[in-house]
Amino acid sequence: MAGSNEVNLNESKKVVPLNTWVLISNFKLAYNLQRRPDGTFNRDLSEFLDRKVPANINPVDGVFSFDHVDGATGLLNRVYQPSSHNEAQWGIVDLEKPLSKTEIVPVIIFFHGGSFTHSSANSAIYDTFCRRLVNVCQAVVVSVNYRRSPEHRYPCAYDDGWAALKWVKSRTWLQSGKESKVYVYLAGDSSGGNIAHHVAARAAEADVEVLGNILLHPMFGGQIRTESEKRLDGKYFVTLQDRDWYWRAYLPEGEDRDHPACNPFGPRGKSLQGLRFPKSLVVVAGLDLIQDWQLAYVEGLKRSSQDVRLLFLEKATIGFYFLPNNDHFYILMDEIKNFVNPNC
Amino acid sequence: MVLYDSAMSAGSSSGSSSSSSSKPPPSSLQQDIDGLLAGAGYKVRSSELRQVAQRLERLETAMGNSPADLSQLASDAVHYNPSDLASWVDSLLSEFTQPPCQSEFMMDPVTNQPVVNNGWTTNEPHAPQVHQNISYEQQNLNPQLTVVTAMEEDSGIRLVHMLMTCAECVQRGELSLATSLIDDMQGLLTRVNTGCGIGKVASHFIDALSRRIFQGIGGGGGSILGGSAYENEILYHHFYEACPYLKFAHFTANQAILEAFEGHDCVHVVDFNLMHGLQWPALIQALALRPGGPPLLRLTGIGPPSPDGRDSLREIGLRLAELARSVNVRFAFRGVAASRLEDVKPWMLQVNPKEAVAVNSIMQLHRLLGSDPTRTSPIETVLSWIRSLNPKIMTVVEQEANHNQPGFLDRFSEALYYYSTMFDSLEACTVQPEKALAEIYIQKEIANVVSCEGSARVERHEPLAKWRTRLNGAGFKPLPLGSNAFKQASMLLTLFSAEGYAVEENEGCLTLGWHSRPLIAASAWQAVTDPAAEFPTWDNRQPS
Repeated sequence: MAGSNEVNLNESKKVVPLNTWVLISNFKLAYNLQRRPDGTFNRDLSEFLDRKVPANINPVDGVFSFDHVDGATGLLNRVYQPSSHNEAQWGIVDLEKPLSKTEIVPVIIFFHGGSFTHSSANSAIYDTFCRRLVNVCQAVVVSVNYRRSPEHRYPCAYDDGWAALKWVKSRTWLQSGKESKVYVYLAGDSSGGNIAHHVAARAAEADVEVLGNILLHPMFGGQIRTESEKRLDGKYFVTLQDRDWYWRAYLPEGEDRDHPACNPFGPRGKSLQGLRFPKSLVVVAGLDLIQDWQLAYVEGLKRSSQDVRLLFLEKATIGFYFLPNNDHFYILMDEIKNFVNPNC
Repeated sequence: MVLYDSAMSAGSSSGSSSSSSSKPPPSSLQQDIDGLLAGAGYKVRSSELRQVAQRLERLETAMGNSPADLSQLASDAVHYNPSDLASWVDSLLSEFTQPPCQSEFMMDPVTNQPVVNNGWTTNEPHAPQVHQNISYEQQNLNPQLTVVTAMEEDSGIRLVHMLMTCAECVQRGELSLATSLIDDMQGLLTRVNTGCGIGKVASHFIDALSRRIFQGIGGGGGSILGGSAYENEILYHHFYEACPYLKFAHFTANQAILEAFEGHDCVHVVDFNLMHGLQWPALIQALALRPGGPPLLRLTGIGPPSPDGRDSLREIGLRLAELARSVNVRFAFRGVAASRLEDVKPWMLQVNPKEAVAVNSIMQLHRLLGSDPTRTSPIETVLSWIRSLNPKIMTVVEQEANHNQPGFLDRFSEALYYYSTMFDSLEACTVQPEKALAEIYIQKEIANVVSCEGSARVERHEPLAKWRTRLNGAGFKPLPLGSNAFKQASMLLTLFSAEGYAVEENEGCLTLGWHSRPLIAASAWQAVTDPAAEFPTWDNRQPS
């Protein structure tokens, strides 16, 4: 354990509002209870503790949602849409008509975080976040319930992400604009950001168009210990020890953290030079211990001549976007709104 | 399967707000609950935030200092109601600050308060917390969720649209239009696979609508609504076998009853609907294996009277007695024959003041919600005499659906969602004739919800949030079902059922559903003790 516990607790309390501190500390301790030292995971306890919410076909604050199970894969996707201005349309989802024949309505495929292990598309924190995304961008959001580790290791999450992308692309009711196509962005926080990268890379190789990637403190890593990892270990809710655990749970047995899933631009990584990779918005929290890996990722994209915008929020901790009670949240929402602007 | 208009009727009771500007302040504000944490699924009072934060800190320190394997302790500990963050943290604190040799979990399951450990010095006095059940009105009261399956065939979508339009016509009294829609739908059915999916469900709803239009709402006649008690029992038994909903109900209720009966030598279970007594062999066996030996178990089973001189209640009782004898559990059975639950009087149950009583209601309470404005409502009467029995526990299982709304169209669309999901889940069952008979069982429910009114409509399902309000108001307080019950229910599912079923924890209650849609909810309750009014049980022989 790096540093004394008391110092660390005091540090984190100074930088986030009280209710955020309570929320994230609660997750931290609950997650500690669920991870076992032998690498197994108490899934029952995890599901019991996770706060879930049902979808709601009736609009709440301008957004309605419904769940769809993809018959072929058994994958559950939760679809969020802005409610129609016409009240008579409320409670209706027409799976025959496109979103719009004239305007472009972006569809953001969202991969929730949880270090590949925790949370679901119907977790309360992610349901709430997706609803905010819909309102900010006036877009449709599809939240993917990908299979989690350690029960399902690499490449399951990526396969599920790819399946979701193909599913979204093939829905006529997600089409918009004069050209009747589905305008897709990929987004994700933590492990979800990692998934978004890898799905985008596969899409680029398969010539499937993705308009943009939004990576919210994406989960990357590597074998060596970086300066930020050493400096911030245990200080702001996250420890190196738990990061290591989640990588061991996700990567194939016996692999190390330079596996390209974890370290896409590392010694075993691949350049994206020449590929039609989407433009990226990478958000880094200045108090996140893995920021050096995220910054390295940004450099890797640049070296591959890919379009990337870095949003570095110096005083932000992980999970700053769960509650709209801080400046970082609003800065983030503005950035995302501009990024997903259909006129760009 | 497609979704459609559910909020069209005038005076619609849908729970969601229409525009943010005209909303009343959310109930969370009124009760000082931190609104942002509520959005994350946690109920914490703003005034308590600092306290909770301090306890989280202490918990982290305690966990860090814990000598034993942390996760082993976590696996053994029973967690309750995670939404109530303050008490969850407290319960873990007491778990982690026990001396290592003590394995007893120091939680009072009744009050959900940690038992004060004298060796632990606290800075602030341990203030008793009132665990209010704040219903998260906006989302839970009207969960218009649907799980859209991959069947997006044109005909299927059109059928659903037409069903909704037809129901709307029925609500408006435009019966001739409704009738022609029925004809059109019958025609469309010939082009759709009615063996499964949307076709099958649609055909049941078309039948129910026809019945309502052509036979009226009295509920008489026709094989689907009638049926003898004997036939109903057969259908129920097959529904029990074909899918896990009833097994989950029994299992979860038995677990809670077992815990409530701990330490009692004389126990009495009152079952509001005995059927074939499917729930009780497991409880009898569990009691037989109880450390310290089994109690004397009395079971009072309520059921409809049997015609032709048969006494089916007694037959079931004899079989259960046989089983009890074989495992050395002293057992006594009593059958109470009543056509309606509200006809039962508490003195018929012959509850002894010294015994621990469990009242068990599996999908029975909703039948009491039909109200005749000239009488006291049956639900109030029954809940009141249940309280007078001073039960150790009341286990309640109900369909998690809003099928008792006043507007017909609202009810219809809610039922269409609910039963579509239930039929989807049934697809996974391959055993016959269980599956076919289970479907008839469900069909009867659909027919009752859609084509009956007044006293004939008995399937008046209400969601958990409404039951909470009702039971709290009737003088009951929740007994949270914990993570052990959750875990065992999950295990049960993996053993007996297909992929897709999910158990969820909902503020101390457990639900079982198909994918992300809960379909059945189980909860446990205890009467709030009222020192002001004594209810002697022997003297409840009130003139009827």
